[in-house]
Amino acid sequence: MKAFDIALKDMTRSFRSAFAVVFMFIVPLLVTGMFYFMFGNIASDGEFSLPKTKVVIANLDEGGPKFQVNPKNIPGGKKADTMGDLIVSILQSEEMTDLIEVTFAPSAEAARTTVDSQNAQVAIIIPSDFSHQFADVDGEAIIEFYQDPTLTIGPAIMRAILNRFMDGMAGVKIAVNVFLDEADTNQYAMVGQVVQLYLKDSLAESDDPAGELLDVRAPSNGQKNEAQESQNLMLNIIGPIMGGMMVFYAFYTGTSVAQSILKEEEEQTLPRLFTTPTSQATILTGKLLSVFMTVCVQVIVLLIAAHLMFGIQWGDILSVVLMAAGIILTASSFGIFVNSFLKNTKQGGVVFGGVLTVTGMMGMIKIFAMNSAIANKMGDTISLLVPQGWAIRGLMQSMNGEPINSVLTTVLISLVWSTAFFIIGVWRFNRRYV
Amino acid sequence: MDHVPAIEVLDLHKSFGENKAVQGVSFEVTQGEIFSLLGPNGAGKTTTISMLSCLLRPNNGDARVMGHSIRSDAMGVKSVLGVVPQDIALYEDLTARENLSFWGKMYNLRGSKLKSRVNEVLGVIGLRDRANERVGKYSGGMKRRVNIGVALLHKPKVIYMDEPTVGIDPQSRRNILDSVVKLKDEGMTVLYTTHYMEEAQELSDHIAIMDHGKMMACGTHEELVKLVGQQTRIDLTLNGDGINVMKMWQEIEGVSRVSAEDGLVTVLVADSNQVLPHLFEAAAHLSMRITSVDIREPNLEAVFLHLTGRALRD
Repeated sequence: MKAFDIALKDMTRSFRSAFAVVFMFIVPLLVTGMFYFMFGNIASDGEFSLPKTKVVIANLDEGGPKFQVNPKNIPGGKKADTMGDLIVSILQSEEMTDLIEVTFAPSAEAARTTVDSQNAQVAIIIPSDFSHQFADVDGEAIIEFYQDPTLTIGPAIMRAILNRFMDGMAGVKIAVNVFLDEADTNQYAMVGQVVQLYLKDSLAESDDPAGELLDVRAPSNGQKNEAQESQNLMLNIIGPIMGGMMVFYAFYTGTSVAQSILKEEEEQTLPRLFTTPTSQATILTGKLLSVFMTVCVQVIVLLIAAHLMFGIQWGDILSVVLMAAGIILTASSFGIFVNSFLKNTKQGGVVFGGVLTVTGMMGMIKIFAMNSAIANKMGDTISLLVPQGWAIRGLMQSMNGEPINSVLTTVLISLVWSTAFFIIGVWRFNRRYV
Repeated sequence: MDHVPAIEVLDLHKSFGENKAVQGVSFEVTQGEIFSLLGPNGAGKTTTISMLSCLLRPNNGDARVMGHSIRSDAMGVKSVLGVVPQDIALYEDLTARENLSFWGKMYNLRGSKLKSRVNEVLGVIGLRDRANERVGKYSGGMKRRVNIGVALLHKPKVIYMDEPTVGIDPQSRRNILDSVVKLKDEGMTVLYTTHYMEEAQELSDHIAIMDHGKMMACGTHEELVKLVGQQTRIDLTLNGDGINVMKMWQEIEGVSRVSAEDGLVTVLVADSNQVLPHLFEAAAHLSMRITSVDIREPNLEAVFLHLTGRALRD
């Protein structure tokens, strides 16, 4: 009970500090908000330019029914004899030139090799029966989407484009199927005209024909999570940034609140606590509990606020709970660990300016190096050298809708970090005040 | 229980590396009295109090507080004890009421008992009207009062007050001294440390004089003064180097000790009226001029000087 009283007292003090509240809640949301508006402007004025995503296409589509799509309805106005050609035409259209750089591979294997050798970030492999499957009522038209696993933004952009395109084509397919159900056999040759009519009608409802053509989506190989598909491009960028900010400032808060042990020593309230009939174990437990509870409040508030303000989807509830627990425990124990090495709060400046910033940046390097293949791969390795990297990894896994086992594994590794930090920190503090 | 000494200190020793902070200190404090530890900074008073509060573990010796050993029953000691530390030990971003409530919980007070004790203590320290203001906004004197209030919450049998009047204005100092006497009237035992002779003289039933970690003397004010044989202290300043004149003064009949510190020469004499003319004569003989004279009747300062050979100063 006394430990809880100590924790509540510390929390009251923390939340009364305007400085602490600003760094706990406002700064992470503000930074993310700046990115939010910055990337929001990409869509509105197109002034912001992202590095181009290198895409290699293996169009193996051998064709099927001739759709005879009017070139004026295809971005770029190119002729498209197959569904594969249609996709290629769209990806090569003028609207796409700022976002992607297209090259071609003669085979699926060659396309994959191009990605493996990091000469491209994404391979789009259109199978030989793509048009045929599309025309078949029971067929399943699937595009293979092969990406560099270390990258996030570039592939996310491509995924969003393809998803939207394929979704629209699914609408076309429904129209074709309805026609085939209703028409006589001798009218099947008119399928192409039906497609054209569908596109024409749907385009007529849009102010932006090119945009409408892209506003389609359909399942593609390896990208079957519907919830994930619904994320738009901006959130794919903003989500990791907000997550990174949350992890960075959770560690900041953990270290800052844990510093209250040293602060109380300097303010003489800790020695006074030791003169009361309260055991040292209870006092230290209370101090540690306050760190944990404060970071807990911060993470929960940021998760909810980011969802409400930016519409960020953190993943399914179990993954989010696991991921949040990993962040909270690691950030709290890291704070205790770091402070146990300090003699006084003056040394805290070095910790805040040095250790926290360096380890925080190392942990976030993956997020900020998403568009450089080599930097991203290196970043992935470097970030996992620090606890922040594991926290961010769990966060990304949850956001990407990865299986719960993957998230759990990352959280368990975070717990190993956390346990080590906790044991060393508590041992050092106990030895100090014995 | 009344026959048990409130505090019984037996041959306490504490060293920090080579520095022997406390060397064989022993004394006994009767229940209901004010006992002062008097000595300059660095005399070992705070170290002694820290050991008696179970903050420091002695290298040797033991002490009992209301029968509880500081070595084997620290929790027992802490439960009967209220400590007013030398520095203000409060949470400045909490209000006085919040501070008292928190510390009350640390002394195992809960619920309505806690609430009523907090209100009572706020009344005792005269801060009921400003109880909901943050302590950080208080004056130094008000903080001192809250600092004392914290130690009173659980109605301890023994209170340690470690130099509670350092660095505060005369009015607040007066309030604190009055409150110490009031605590005694309420039956509490007070162990008070100070380097102000006047405070020890005014408050204490017994005084222990400490210097360099050792206890030089212990007794009532009268008993201590007798140690210097009712000698009068004369402080003089000269217009030049006083080494030769001090040698002459030492030879004068009725002079028991001559010492000098920071340009001030102190002479302990049996009868100042008889000796003073001789002091002037000796100075004139060496062409020296006495520029100031201050005659002081026997007091604790003289006792300290007599025991240690130097003045009791900061």
